[in-house]
Amino acid sequence: MASSTSTSLPRAESDNRWLNALSVVPGVLLLAGIGYAGKVLERSINGYAKAHHWTFPNIEYVLWAILIGLVISNVLTIPKIFQAGIDTYEFWLKLGIVLLGARFVLADVLKLGGISLALVVIEITVSLALMTFLGKIFKLKPKLISLLAIGSAVCGVSAIIAAKGAIDADDEDASFAMAAILALGALSLFTFPAIAHSLHMNDVSYGLWAGLGVDNTAEATAAGALYSDAAGKVAVLAKTARNAMIGFVVLGYAIYWSRKSQAEAVTNKAAFLWKKFPKFVLGFLLMSLLVGFHTFDKGQITSLGNLSKWAFLLTFAGVGLRTNFREMLQQGLRPFIVGALGEILIACLTLGLVIGANRVWGL
Amino acid sequence: MADTSKAAPNQGRSLSPDIWAVIVALALALAVKLDLFKNIPW
Repeated sequence: MASSTSTSLPRAESDNRWLNALSVVPGVLLLAGIGYAGKVLERSINGYAKAHHWTFPNIEYVLWAILIGLVISNVLTIPKIFQAGIDTYEFWLKLGIVLLGARFVLADVLKLGGISLALVVIEITVSLALMTFLGKIFKLKPKLISLLAIGSAVCGVSAIIAAKGAIDADDEDASFAMAAILALGALSLFTFPAIAHSLHMNDVSYGLWAGLGVDNTAEATAAGALYSDAAGKVAVLAKTARNAMIGFVVLGYAIYWSRKSQAEAVTNKAAFLWKKFPKFVLGFLLMSLLVGFHTFDKGQITSLGNLSKWAFLLTFAGVGLRTNFREMLQQGLRPFIVGALGEILIACLTLGLVIGANRVWGL
Repeated sequence: MADTSKAAPNQGRSLSPDIWAVIVALALALAVKLDLFKNIPW
C-alpha cells in the first residue's frame, strides 16, 4: 500500500489511484473464478447425470456460484488481499442491470414497469407500517426500526446506507439492520424458488414476486435467475422500479427525524432526491430506449444480453462470498427476529399482490 | 459492503459505482455496435 503523504502532489495521487485500481484485481479474479466454476459445474454435473441416467436435480450455475462463495466465506478465512475486489460485486450487479436493459423492449418496460410501480407503492407503504409496528413491539431502538423498515421496504443494504447518513443513525444500528436484511436475503434464495415451484407460478409472476419480495438487489436478481432466465429479467425490472423509490422514502424519514431535531434538516428536497436516486436505473432505461430505436441488430442485442449475464455471474459469486452467517449471528437475534417476521409477512403480501395482478392483467 | 455514503477527502471528484456502471455499459454497447466484440458467447 502506498503511504499517505502530507505533501500530496498530483503525481502521488495518480499513483495512489493506480494502486487502488490494482488492489481490486485479486478479488475480481476470485469472483470470476467462482462464477466460472459454477458454470462449469452446472454443465459437467448435469451432463454426467444425464449420461448415466441419474435422477439429479438441475442445479443452475447461479446456485453453484452462490454455494461455492458461501462455503469459502463460512469455512475458510478470506485473505485481505481479495476484499477490495469482492466489494466490487455491486458494480458488476449495476453493470449487469444496465446491460440487461438491452433485452427489454420499451413497451415491456412501460407495461411491466407500470404494474411493478403500482405494486411497489402498496408494498412499500405496508412494509414500512409493518416493520415499524413489529419494531415497536420488540422494543428495538427507534432509528434501528427506521433502518429496518427502509431496508425491507425499498432495496436492502443500499437503502440502509443511503438512510444512515440522512437520519444520522449509529454505525451499530446500521450493521444490525444490514446483517438482518442480508441473512434474510440469503434464506430467500432457497425459499422463494421452492415456494414458486410448488405453486406452479409462471415466469413473469414469479419474477415480479422476487423483485417485490426479496430486499437486496443482488439477492432479488439471483432469486429470479434461479427460477428461469425470463423470471430473472422480470425480477430485475421489478426490483429496479422499487429501487427508484429509494429517494422518496429516505427523504420522508430524513424530514421525520429532522423535525424531532435528531437529524440535519433537508434544505433542498430536489437535490436530495437526485443525490439518493440510483443513477443506474437511468442507464437501464437508456439502454432499452437505444434498442427501441433499433440501434443494435439481433446479434448485437444477444451479445449485450450475454455481457449482462457475465456481469451477473460475478455478482452471484459475490453474494455467496460476502454472506458470513457467524458474523450475522454476532449482531444479535432481536433485529433478526423482527426482520424475519416482517419479511415472512411481506413475502405473503407481495405473493398475494402478484397473484391478484395476474388475475387482473393476465401476466 | 463498502460504505459509499462518506467519500474520503481526496476522492471528492470520484464517480459513484452507479455512474461507473452506466459509463462502462455504454462503452461496451458502443464496442458491440462497432463490432469490436462479435458474438459474445455465454
